[in-house]
Amino acid sequence: MILPEYLGKQVLDWHGIAIPRGSLVRTGADAQAVAGRLGGKVAIKAQIPIGGRGRAGGVAIASDQQEARRAADALIGSSLLGYMVDALLVEELVTTEREFYLAIMADTAAGYVDLIFSPQGGVNIEELTSARHENVHRIALEPSAPFDKAAALSCLEREAVDAELLGELVRVSVALHRAFTEMALILAEINPLALCADDRLVALDCKMEIDDNVLLKRPEFLALRDQLLGGREREAAEVGASYVPLEGDIGLIASGAGLGMATMDLMRLAGLEPANFLDTGGGITRHLIYWAVGLVLEPTEVKAGLMNLYGGINPMLEAARGIIEAIEDLKIKKPLVVKVLGNDQEEAWSLLERAGITVVKTGHTEAAVELLARMVGE
Amino acid sequence: MSILLDESIRAVVQGITGRVGRMQTKWMLEYGTELVGGVSPGKGGQWVEGLPVYDTVQEAVAGHHANASVIFVPAPFAKDAALEAIAAGLRLVVVISEFLPVRDSMEIKRRATAAGVRTIGPNCPGLLTPGVGKLGIMPASLFVCGCVGIVARSATLCYEVAGLLTESGFGQSTAMGIGGDLVTCTGFLEILRLFEADEQTDAVVLVGEIGGEEEEEAASFIRTMQKPVVAFIAGRSLPEGKRFGHAGAIVRRGWGTAEAKVAALSTAGAAIALTPSEIPSLLGQMV
Repeated sequence: MILPEYLGKQVLDWHGIAIPRGSLVRTGADAQAVAGRLGGKVAIKAQIPIGGRGRAGGVAIASDQQEARRAADALIGSSLLGYMVDALLVEELVTTEREFYLAIMADTAAGYVDLIFSPQGGVNIEELTSARHENVHRIALEPSAPFDKAAALSCLEREAVDAELLGELVRVSVALHRAFTEMALILAEINPLALCADDRLVALDCKMEIDDNVLLKRPEFLALRDQLLGGREREAAEVGASYVPLEGDIGLIASGAGLGMATMDLMRLAGLEPANFLDTGGGITRHLIYWAVGLVLEPTEVKAGLMNLYGGINPMLEAARGIIEAIEDLKIKKPLVVKVLGNDQEEAWSLLERAGITVVKTGHTEAAVELLARMVGE
Repeated sequence: MSILLDESIRAVVQGITGRVGRMQTKWMLEYGTELVGGVSPGKGGQWVEGLPVYDTVQEAVAGHHANASVIFVPAPFAKDAALEAIAAGLRLVVVISEFLPVRDSMEIKRRATAAGVRTIGPNCPGLLTPGVGKLGIMPASLFVCGCVGIVARSATLCYEVAGLLTESGFGQSTAMGIGGDLVTCTGFLEILRLFEADEQTDAVVLVGEIGGEEEEEAASFIRTMQKPVVAFIAGRSLPEGKRFGHAGAIVRRGWGTAEAKVAALSTAGAAIALTPSEIPSLLGQMV
């Protein structure tokens, strides 16, 4: 998961890397006040967990408090790249002489952590990943050795910068690596890392991506997890399920990620729009299914539901009971198709059918999707 | 012949005394898998499902000539379990466990590569060779013996595809999952290489999804293959930037789209199934 920029910058600041002066705001009035404190010339940046906000209009430049207020008012409450903008980072504008690119990244294919540097800041990571860009230097770090000043120096000493600047780059690299390690990051990127008139290196933008396997599971990260996740996603994380809200009106529950993704593809082909993605994971219980059915079918914007379950590790009889209890307790009248195969399938089918729920007994997800499309079309 | 999991495999179960390990051991044995013991530090001397439990992999290997391990150890301890298995000189290590930190998985991958130990996973359903056995959690009733290899990132899609193949008369040589995480210790390419060299396998079904570069790497080998490959890629309809269940199932900054994967595989000569149900008929045309 990507940390919002303001949080990433706080992490950098903590580790001794300079960031522009600025504050997080949630209202136009606060944006105006902060802009005033910073001398009027500010950047107003939407805090959303996805890249490309600049091109999408998520960054505004203001030359005085009033402009800052107008820009903030326009951004707050708007929808940007599928996210609601509810927070902005208002930052001083910094004059830069040179801009660099610096990142610490887990190369999951090779199995090494890399340091990536370019004397040309603003480089897109798409170009980096292709590793053909001449001015991008990517070095795999020795896992058994600490990444100290000496290690950083051996990575950067060939760069075309004077000795003093090299010293600063080394210091920032070591600090960034420490942040990477301590925050269980898979990417810690500063782009651009700007050399300012006063010879300071300042992180103008920051992208940090945290390892979800750590964020979602480790008790040490619980508070951060809850801060970053919306209500339903947090509930899902707590029961070990994965939930993603989407824009459609058909609720979906699948017993596996790939199955869920394929089901959504098939739904789209049949003209059905998923309202969500939900992967129950391997820990299905009656309670989890009960919760999932409520989460996915109760919202008013949802008009029907589709469940696609395989019982290998998962108990299908318990799943059936959970579905029936939820439908009855929550008085859900919306059309629901359940495709379920695996252990105890005959009993599960029988239970569901007696409760009046439409059951698909074949291994063809398309059959379930087409059936639901017909039910919804009527 | 099948790949990796063949008649010569003698496996231990790491994490055998846990709830999941115990239950899966029972099902693996019921399927006829050659399991020779279990490992659970501190529980040596116990018995689970008729198998002796040892404190270390080394003891289990020494006592029973084990050459493989399947790991059900929870995430906080899974790395240690995998490294222990790799150090014990096993031929095959299968990591079922989910939620391993990326840095742990990367260390397992580096160590496995250095030691030359074939390691599968993490976060995978394991392997199943019909008529021989299974190392993992695949529901056996969906599979039947035959000549089509299946390799997938998703466990549940592997099951769906297996069911469809069995129903259409296409039995399986070996079916396996490489895992749904950002780190896969063994990727599609190496598995395709094994299928290409396997006498029993006539064709391969590759089940991919959004995120990462596994499918693109596989394409570079598919180009050279004699045996036909049918591919299905899940996630064509999904928006960028969001993670769908699997740690690895996310399109980041335009990279890892289903379209790009389909294009790469198609250019390499794989037949592309728009839906899982199309796979059997595509196989029928190619085999």
